[in-house]
Amino acid sequence: MPRPSIATSEVTEPSSKSLVVVYTAKRTAKIAVLWGYVFGMLVASSALSYSRIYKTKQEREHLAQIFGSNHASAALFGPAPQLQTVAGFTIFKSSMTIMVIGAIWGLLAVTRMLRGDEDAGRWELLLSGRLTRQAATAQVLGGTGLAVGIVWAITALISGVVGQVGSTDISPGGALFLATALVASSAMFAAIGALTSQLAANRQQAVRSAALLLGASYGARMVADAGDGLHWLVWVSPLGWVEQLRPLTSPQAWVLLPIGAFTVAVSLMAVLLAGRRDLGEGLLGEPAKGRARLYLLSGPTRLTARLTGASSVWWGVAVAICGLVMGIIAKSAGETMYGSSVQQVFTRLGSPGTGARAFLGIAFLLIAILVAFQAATVMTAAREEEASGRLDQVLVRAVARGHWVLGRIVIGTLSVLATCCLAGVCTWAGSFAQGSRIGIVPMLAAGVNTLPAALFVLGVGTLALGSQPRQTSLAVYAVIGWSALIDLAGGLFSEDHWVLDTSIFHHLASAPATSPHWQTDAVMAGLGIAAMVLGAQALRRRDLVTN
Amino acid sequence: MALEERLDGAPAIRVEGLSKRYGRVDALVHLDLEVPPGEVLGYLGPNGAGKTTTIRLLLGFLRPSAGRAMIFGTDCTEQPVKAHSHTAFVPGEANLWPSFTGEESLELLGNLHGQFDRAYKDQLIERFGLDPSKKVRDYSRGNRQKVLIIAALMTKARLLLLDEPSSGLDPLVEKEFQSAIREARQRGQTIFLSSHSLSEVEALSDRVAILRDGRLAEVGALSQMRHLSAITLEVEFAAAAPDVSAVPGVSNATADGHWLRCQVQGPVEPLLQALAGTGVLRILSREPSLEELFLAYYGTGHDQTSVAPVAS
Repeated sequence: MPRPSIATSEVTEPSSKSLVVVYTAKRTAKIAVLWGYVFGMLVASSALSYSRIYKTKQEREHLAQIFGSNHASAALFGPAPQLQTVAGFTIFKSSMTIMVIGAIWGLLAVTRMLRGDEDAGRWELLLSGRLTRQAATAQVLGGTGLAVGIVWAITALISGVVGQVGSTDISPGGALFLATALVASSAMFAAIGALTSQLAANRQQAVRSAALLLGASYGARMVADAGDGLHWLVWVSPLGWVEQLRPLTSPQAWVLLPIGAFTVAVSLMAVLLAGRRDLGEGLLGEPAKGRARLYLLSGPTRLTARLTGASSVWWGVAVAICGLVMGIIAKSAGETMYGSSVQQVFTRLGSPGTGARAFLGIAFLLIAILVAFQAATVMTAAREEEASGRLDQVLVRAVARGHWVLGRIVIGTLSVLATCCLAGVCTWAGSFAQGSRIGIVPMLAAGVNTLPAALFVLGVGTLALGSQPRQTSLAVYAVIGWSALIDLAGGLFSEDHWVLDTSIFHHLASAPATSPHWQTDAVMAGLGIAAMVLGAQALRRRDLVTN
Repeated sequence: MALEERLDGAPAIRVEGLSKRYGRVDALVHLDLEVPPGEVLGYLGPNGAGKTTTIRLLLGFLRPSAGRAMIFGTDCTEQPVKAHSHTAFVPGEANLWPSFTGEESLELLGNLHGQFDRAYKDQLIERFGLDPSKKVRDYSRGNRQKVLIIAALMTKARLLLLDEPSSGLDPLVEKEFQSAIREARQRGQTIFLSSHSLSEVEALSDRVAILRDGRLAEVGALSQMRHLSAITLEVEFAAAAPDVSAVPGVSNATADGHWLRCQVQGPVEPLLQALAGTGVLRILSREPSLEELFLAYYGTGHDQTSVAPVAS
């Protein structure tokens, strides 16, 4: 048959100049809108609740006196200047939480678009056209920048509107700078995520490396804000730089220069490295060949142990370091609390007691959040096994679905329990080294006390996996995100117990400030286990869903 | 009663009224099929016909909307683990754990199955030219597929479910694969071979089942399906193409300027004789795609009245 000639003028090609920018922005826009709304509302609720909680000038001066030089609160939430104003209180209450959540979102979004799509083979299609790897990487960063812009715009809009309401007194310019400060960590850690995506052998490694840098950054900032004579450490931490922007209280716009320079430099480095490695490989990747290691290959549960072992070790190390840092600063942080009314505020946050114990009560809340994240990754990894089709290879070989998911739950629970114990022991070691007299048993109990929340997350994850598999990730992270926001917003809803009760962390006793409420823990763990059973049953009776 | 005795009395695969519906879409409609032990059944159909859905129902990965599927008398939905104890599976897409080496993957898959022939595994590695020390993430698509083929064959399972198994294999390895499948058949293993390659199915199968739009169009020996053995010819002439529609064996003849396209069933000689002296410049011959065959023999619509009656 005659072969029709194709006139090049007839072929229309989408512009490769912006294709990936638009694609990235589209994929991240929805969640960016959500985070913008959450960040804005967190700012709004802090600003609006201030005048409700602290009505008189005396109360506000008293608050400023309590927290103005308190090492414990500075370590956890950052410095607290000008607490006698709405602006100062808003920054103290919401900024550190938003900055950390923003940083996590930034690194997860970029590693998913860069390394996740590359691991899934989608980049081979993308790069088979005119687009180079450098251009594609730059465009992903551009698209993520647009998404960060969405978060910025919504946060600024809500903050600006709130600024015009009543006595909140946030100027439009102040709202814009506040939003800039709040999303700066997202931009910086998106760049870091882009860099680790070039260095690591796969997305998991890329996320792990970037998260480790985030943890180190948070730890350095904690020490800088809490330790005497160590404030210079704030300049070695990206989170410390963001803190130095000091929005609303005493803005330092010039700090945007190092933040911007860092973001651009790291992004450029990522773009350059993208063209200097093989697709699907990492510059620090593993060797292509290796001697066969045949351990833990004889059943689905052992396989789970082998597949998740490295991840469990990383989580254990991260939480252990966090516990060690908390323990080291606990004594000096707690000393500023003796005899002061700050204890009342810590009690309102859920951690009654004195000194180091009260500080550690809040510190273990952060550890509980980390441990819950570890539990969440157990279930998202299980879903990934199914989505990738690898689970087919297990279930086709005389392995029951219940057996497989039970193995995942058991291994996940054991690894989370190990992390809890490690947190207790390392926090004790840190505090013991500084001369604290809190014994290892209450500290270990405080670590184990964080387990029920993780079991609940495992239960929610199993239930979602069994009934709505595509929503597994959303379900576990929504539970953690919501609970963390409610708890870290601390006391905002102190009169609305029904809201506080929706947080899984609110039900955990603030050990070691108080003794663990083992009965409450048992109820939460029981609910988690019930959800696991229901989820496992649902899994048996549904279709397997691959991507 | 001994397990072997119970197995020997049951068909390797028995499917009764099996249907799968996703919302308003019928992926599989009332499938009835039986495969006796020791047979190689080719399961043909174009993309989206429902081949993979059938296999995933047989594996118990999907729950049927209606009907049931059994492997050696065991219900695949109610007792999937028991059904799988006699089954090995090769999927069309090789999804393996990227951090494992080929050797580790084979050890894992063999252990998960319960038992496998290590000597035969080594022999298959040699025959397929697989480097088992490489990590899966560094394998080509074809090499990943080799791992799965070896993993299935080394178990010597009584039933092999193969879903587009040779996709990604080069011709030499594909030849070796066909040789291994013939050996499996000689050992008495049953093979359910899903494919969209007519030639592969023709080379291996005792019987062929053809699926179209989720419905079984035909099932029987290939020798009974002479109408499927057509070839497509494209002929270029120096002048206008002649009319050959009356030539015996020729069908679907279309002329376009100097080009003629038609399908020929049976001997090509009558057509060649008719073309003698007509100024033929060149003749191109190829196996028709399944889509072309289905278009030619079953029409384009979803009207099932045009589908030939099923012979079981």
